[in-house]
Amino acid sequence: MAVIAGAIVVGLIVLIILFKLIWRVAEPNEALIISGLGARSKSETGLDSLGFKIVTGKGTAVLPGFQTSRRLRLDSRAGNLEVQCVTQQGIPVHVRGVVIYKVGDDLVSIANAARRFLEQQASMDGAIHELFTGHLRSIIGNLTVEDLILNRERMTSETRMSAADEMSKLGLIVDSLQIQEIEDETGYITNLGRPHAARVASAARIAEAERNQEATRREQETERENAAVIRDTEMKKAEYNGQVKQAEQQARQEVILRETRNAELEAERTEKRLESEIRKPADARAYEQVKLAGAQRDERIAYADAAKKEAERQADATRVMGEAEADAIRQRGLAEAEAIKARAEALAENTDAVIAQQLAEKWPEIVEAGAEVFGNVDNMIVLNGAQGVEDMLAKALTLGGTGLGVARQLLTGLNATGGDPAANGHAPAKPIVPKPAAPDEN
Amino acid sequence: MIGKQGRVTGKIGPGLVGEVMIAIRGGVEAFYAHPVDPRDEIAVGTLVIVVEHQPPRTVYVAPAFG
Repeated sequence: MAVIAGAIVVGLIVLIILFKLIWRVAEPNEALIISGLGARSKSETGLDSLGFKIVTGKGTAVLPGFQTSRRLRLDSRAGNLEVQCVTQQGIPVHVRGVVIYKVGDDLVSIANAARRFLEQQASMDGAIHELFTGHLRSIIGNLTVEDLILNRERMTSETRMSAADEMSKLGLIVDSLQIQEIEDETGYITNLGRPHAARVASAARIAEAERNQEATRREQETERENAAVIRDTEMKKAEYNGQVKQAEQQARQEVILRETRNAELEAERTEKRLESEIRKPADARAYEQVKLAGAQRDERIAYADAAKKEAERQADATRVMGEAEADAIRQRGLAEAEAIKARAEALAENTDAVIAQQLAEKWPEIVEAGAEVFGNVDNMIVLNGAQGVEDMLAKALTLGGTGLGVARQLLTGLNATGGDPAANGHAPAKPIVPKPAAPDEN
Repeated sequence: MIGKQGRVTGKIGPGLVGEVMIAIRGGVEAFYAHPVDPRDEIAVGTLVIVVEHQPPRTVYVAPAFG
């Protein structure tokens, strides 16, 4: 049993080993080139045989001893190129570039490449380098420096035109040809860039200056705007302040107006009060006084009228009385004249009687004169008082009757002395003296 | 191969070797391209149809949309 199992295991192992020996698998990046017994495949056109078998992407059995298999790498390869060449304008340049190429994926390309490079895959890069340096010369000779730098379409197009057929012959395809570096001994490229650089620099300076100018202008504008705003603000402020002041002034004015009005009202009120309290009463008083004065005047006029009338009446009365008195006086005069005439007659007839009568008539005056004598006495001591005076006067008077002689003596004495009557008697004593003569004259 | 469509990546015209990208074998490969009508000029980006295939990598194409 164990022997059988062991034999089976060994057999399996032998089988696996055998399988591994005869079965080859192609990786995605390689092609198996199988040649040998029975290894024939139709080419793509199907007209003739390749003479070997190309397997890609799958496995196949290779009979050991009868067949052989080789691997052809299909990876892309890069070849550095360095070439001294001349451009279309005749400018010598030193160019370094890289070409990226690979074996074509189609069977034709693989067959071509297998036939050429299968045993020399390591030397492929050298061959390609030689090939492409030559091609690069022709490519660059058809281009200008500007194209070389800028025009990639032109570059690839020239590459295709110059290298297409030869690469097809080799079964290779060019993925990319890149110019890495261009060394320019004449300074053409530098000079080429110089106008542009100068232009760019000038443009940059211009732009900078313009931007500076713009910035300055903006700054100035902003400052101006700021100033304008500030000015507007100040103006508005001033305006508002003015308005506020105006409003205050108006308010003050209003207050003043109110006060004035109040004062006026007060004054008016005072005036009215004064009018009512003072003027009206004053008027009333004045009116009263006027009325009173008028009344008084009227009264006085009435009085005056009355007085005038009275005076007239009195004048009339006086006149009448005067007339009456005049009449009376005249009558009395007449009567006196007659009396005097009569007395003169009587005197002529009886002087003593006349004198006596005269004396009797003048007795009061005489007494008075006598009394005046007493009146001149400063201190008259009358022992019997008032009665004593009466007695004395009575005695003096009683003496009269008998004292005619004395009287006559006195009269004559008076006449003889011609003394001043004022010294010791009344004036009426004087006419007595000439009277005796007067009737004569009458 | 013939009848496949492709996109022009290098200008095709008389005296030029153009390039078209054609989907083939599960990938996209570049082929040298020439116009079917020698006077045609086909700009980059144009869709073309393969009229003739010249192995290994040359095709003759015509614009796909007239």
